[in-house]
Amino acid sequence: MMDPIIMDLGIVALMGALATIAGAAEDLESDVGSQSNPNSQVQLAAQMDFPHRIFNKAISGEPPAYGLWCATGATVASVLLAQNMSVIFAIAIGSLAGAILLGLFAVTAHMGRTASQKRFKQPVYMDMVIGHVPSIIAHGFIAVFCIVSFSYIMDHILTHPFPLPLLAFLWGITAGAIGSSTGDVHYGAEREFQNQPFGCGLNAAYSGNIVRKAESGLRNGMDNVWACAKFGGPVTGLALGFTVFFDNWRSTVFSGMNAVIAGLIIVLILILANRLVEVQARKAYGPFKDEEGGAEA
Amino acid sequence: MIIDPISIALITLGGALIGLGVHFIPVGGAPAAMAQATGVGTGTVQLAAGAGLTGLISAGFMYNFLATSGSFTTSDFMLVLASGAVGAMIMITVTMFIGQLVYVYCVGVPPVSAKVDKDPITGDRQDIYVSKGTEGHGVPTVSFVSGTIGGLFGGMGGSLVYVQLMQIGNAPADPAVVALAGIFATGVFYVNAVLASYNIGGTIEGFHDPKFKRVPKAIISCLVASLLCAIIAVPIMGGVS
Repeated sequence: MMDPIIMDLGIVALMGALATIAGAAEDLESDVGSQSNPNSQVQLAAQMDFPHRIFNKAISGEPPAYGLWCATGATVASVLLAQNMSVIFAIAIGSLAGAILLGLFAVTAHMGRTASQKRFKQPVYMDMVIGHVPSIIAHGFIAVFCIVSFSYIMDHILTHPFPLPLLAFLWGITAGAIGSSTGDVHYGAEREFQNQPFGCGLNAAYSGNIVRKAESGLRNGMDNVWACAKFGGPVTGLALGFTVFFDNWRSTVFSGMNAVIAGLIIVLILILANRLVEVQARKAYGPFKDEEGGAEA
Repeated sequence: MIIDPISIALITLGGALIGLGVHFIPVGGAPAAMAQATGVGTGTVQLAAGAGLTGLISAGFMYNFLATSGSFTTSDFMLVLASGAVGAMIMITVTMFIGQLVYVYCVGVPPVSAKVDKDPITGDRQDIYVSKGTEGHGVPTVSFVSGTIGGLFGGMGGSLVYVQLMQIGNAPADPAVVALAGIFATGVFYVNAVLASYNIGGTIEGFHDPKFKRVPKAIISCLVASLLCAIIAVPIMGGVS
């Protein structure tokens, strides 16, 4: 007979996989629509006399936004589950409700923000609204579906005491926090400023001077998500996947104080891994100034 | 009408721990998303809440396991707090590490602090690694360790609020009590994280940052705000005799 722990580990692995997809979709959605911190530059660009065709929607910080979409999705799913609907359909319909809400906010946020920049001669491009919003909704749907799904697994199979909407709300906040902390740096520090030299932070003097021309034609949110899907999106997925997997793995395999010790060992390993990356980066890139700290090296 | 003073004191302490924890977390705000400032490229409240609430999920798991299987002792109480703290630490370390990978392998910058000339932990020279026109970038070791400590305090504070509210509710298996305690703990977390972030004013690199000296002010504000939250929360959870 199969050991129950193998079954539990399989469930935890499935949750990790769902979280990985959710994290990637969450970050890519914020790249198509330009949300969170890098959007400050998109907002600034028009004011610095650089009108552009980048979708501009900063509905709110990503964590509360995803908390809202996921809580909405999970609430609708809970109501449908209480009416004995099948789990997959209930979560899918719930996620669709969350994604449509995201679409509504995306349209109003984009139009409101862009219209308020009229005096900087930033036009509202209707073709952009029609072209970008379905992609935002689609990415949002995948993210919300995966987050509500692993919250459902946690709630019903691993028997977490929190109700499904609260659990999805909390994981939505975590997913948004991870997305805006990791993948968005690819979009903000690299993709938006490919016109600056590689291998340094953005000089504050060039703020707002974002890249406005694409590989072909004028750059928009679709071009940005194409680039960010190569690094920023997948690593964000990895971050959310690791968080969900490690946190549940330790409490599945160990119990009581051993689970706490296992968690501390994971934290210690990550501190050491970070140090290795830091040493390697310092060695590979070298200093920007000479040893006296004066002239440029 | 008597309101349990110990519960109020513990919830207030939990709020102060959250406020303290937020100051340890290295956040660079919007500038860090453009590799213009040291720390993680998001807002103070966002990252602290993400970490603390992950800890709350872990603490909820552990509390449910311990409280429904028998009597809930003081050592169980500590175990739930430890579990919440470790959950938050895992989230924050994973986020900082993956963020670091983006800074190093995607943006191509070495992690560096602009607030100190030498990393207080590793002793590495910092000032010459800061690129022109920026205030540092990435998450150097000192900031990473500081963020881990922030996760510890934040997760522990959030869990303390949750566990104490559950103890007042005295019905660990009742979904309504669990939901009420969970959402109150989330609310207390946000109140204290926002207060602390006003004190920080956008960016902080960790405990080595000069802004960290402002902590006492934040602790006093968080104590007052959490006390008010506790006075409202305890009667709602049924803590009046």
